Amino acid sequence: MSRYFLIALAAGLILAGSPGASAHHSFAMYDPSVTVRLDGTVKEFQWTNPHALIWVIGVTKPGEAPTLWTIELPTSPGNLSRLGWTKHSLSPGDRVVVELNPLRDGQHGGSFRKMTMVLTGQVLLVNLRDQPKTEASK
Amino acid sequence: MTSRSDLRLVVLAMVGCAFTAPVRAGSAAVTSGAPGAGAWADLAKLPDWSGVWTPVPPPASNKSPAHTGQWVDNEPRWTPAAARQIAALEADEKAGRPHNIYLNCLPEGMPSFMIMTLNAIEILFTPGRVTILGEFDGNRLRRIYTDGRPHPADPDLTFDGHSIGHWEGGTLVVDTVGILPEVYLPLGQGVGLPNNGDMHIVERIRLAGPDLLQDDLLVTAPRMLAQPWAYTRKFKRHRGADADIVEASCRQGDFAEQKDADGNAIFAPLPHDAGGAPLPLPLGK
Repeated sequence: MSRYFLIALAAGLILAGSPGASAHHSFAMYDPSVTVRLDGTVKEFQWTNPHALIWVIGVTKPGEAPTLWTIELPTSPGNLSRLGWTKHSLSPGDRVVVELNPLRDGQHGGSFRKMTMVLTGQVLLVNLRDQPKTEASK
Repeated sequence: MTSRSDLRLVVLAMVGCAFTAPVRAGSAAVTSGAPGAGAWADLAKLPDWSGVWTPVPPPASNKSPAHTGQWVDNEPRWTPAAARQIAALEADEKAGRPHNIYLNCLPEGMPSFMIMTLNAIEILFTPGRVTILGEFDGNRLRRIYTDGRPHPADPDLTFDGHSIGHWEGGTLVVDTVGILPEVYLPLGQGVGLPNNGDMHIVERIRLAGPDLLQDDLLVTAPRMLAQPWAYTRKFKRHRGADADIVEASCRQGDFAEQKDADGNAIFAPLPHDAGGAPLPLPLGK
């Protein structure tokens, strides 16, 4: 069992008991007045309910040591599918620039605002008013 | 013991009732037996609510600060005591300290089922019943009995309550009671108060356009609301496989898809902050 997994498991077990550990939560812990631009590489794209997740290793300013960020999409695979996303929209290793609203407490988590695929220039958005998919979100 | 002639009389009486009772589409009595072909055929007289329905999000100009999916016009009128609690909850939400109202994947319950979800619903008609299937959280569902039965005299309290309905033209009128007192009157996922008992919800659901479904709810919660809370939710219709409702578990996103020491595919719990936001796993794999 990897050290990575053991640490993750321990952290998860500790935090799973806290009252806030539930899938459905307000997004108030993210600061909507601050937009962080994260330049990096997709580590993993998790296509799960109720919110899909993206892990990106990147920097928020030049010269910074790359760190891992967890980016929470504001909705579920069902809605994302109706906006043109699929589980293959992102792959590990994809170069991306992500705009996110960060956690207020400084931890490396954020809510998704916009993502640009560096290789193709494709822009990924999540606007529920666009359902079903529109040109802007394909 | 019933004689053969008695049975014939009973059958004749039943046939007579079938011809003389007013036929109300979708209202065939199924409580005392199997629906006949007529009951199934009557469903064709109901309005077409097929397809997948997604909630219509509010425009930015009319968006409640408590939740991205809510219309600010729909704010309830609280009792003074409840209003003080709501003010405190809204202040905490604004400061980034939300008090999440949906915990541990307990069902959200009514009225959240209809007014809070940002996910799709679909609606099935069968004799004597309307079923609303949600995509939200474990694909929850509502059963609305349209076979003429009353509410139970002493219903077991549940999250979605006990719903009976009848058709007034193309409008389905739904009456719901028997909701647990712990079920929230929601303003957002971080702002809401328990109804504290005796909640009663009347809904009028109808097509407001060719592809627009409108649910006008009137929520009475005498322990928390100074007056009934009128709330309108609209849903947009989609057809085609690209809008299909998918399986949606409540907490899968709380776990990372990992392998254990034996190579088995497992769900490993993710760390979260106090408000429930997922945090990065430590690097170093």
